[in-house]
Amino acid sequence: MNLLFKSYNFASYQCDRSRCFYIDFGHKTVKLSFCQLLSLRQKVQKIDLDSHFDKDLNYSGIEILTLCNREHLFILDTMQVIEMKELIKATFGMLELNSLVTHS
Amino acid sequence: MKDIVRQKIGINVDIMDMLNEQISKEAHSSSAYLAMASWCDHNGLTGSAEFLYKQSLEERDHMMKIFRFINENGGTAYSPEVSNILHDFNSLQEIFETALDQEIAITKSINNIVAKCRKVQDFASENFLQWFVHEQMEEENQFRRILEMFDLMGTDGIALKLIDERIKHGE
Repeated sequence: MNLLFKSYNFASYQCDRSRCFYIDFGHKTVKLSFCQLLSLRQKVQKIDLDSHFDKDLNYSGIEILTLCNREHLFILDTMQVIEMKELIKATFGMLELNSLVTHS
Repeated sequence: MKDIVRQKIGINVDIMDMLNEQISKEAHSSSAYLAMASWCDHNGLTGSAEFLYKQSLEERDHMMKIFRFINENGGTAYSPEVSNILHDFNSLQEIFETALDQEIAITKSINNIVAKCRKVQDFASENFLQWFVHEQMEEENQFRRILEMFDLMGTDGIALKLIDERIKHGE
């Protein structure tokens, strides 16, 4: 497996053999197809971080994230959301870089 | 490392995001025309109402065209949420001014995506969007012609009824 990005708690990998991606959430690793990775990306991007700093908008300061057609469920706090946003951004950045290198 | 992303998706991921945003804009546009059609129907302007119902369907067709393009090329299209639809208008002229402004905003948005396509060399998406570039010019001109009728004929009484009939027949 090829490491794409590693943050403090999370990591993302690409597996050439299974043509899939893996996200290591620290206590659990989830296998994702590209379509599922796109879905995760959309969900993470849609999280409004500002609401975490407004008690009226997000009282608990947590986000519930479902993955792979609700096969997995994660509860993230504000710091983890920030880290997840960073992981997704960097992962797709690495994938884009790989595309450029492969086809140049 | 294999380029799995390219194997799975034929379009650039950032372009896919922009196309998804465009889906939302087209959906909003379709609903906005529906609200305008409703206002016309309630104010005895049946010709304009009919025209706007058709316009609403056209915008939905545009949305579907983009929706299918994304999915057919390995991306994921997201069904849009529509909110903030304006239902209150002062006149038929205001409706068509709002409609023209809406079309101009859509044109700008399409042009913006085309520019990004060129930057990231996503020629397939650029080629796909050329149809929209042409279509937007037609749509804008259509609303300009209608607004010119108000300039020529006025906005009250019989003139309004005549304009309404002309809009119905697409003159």
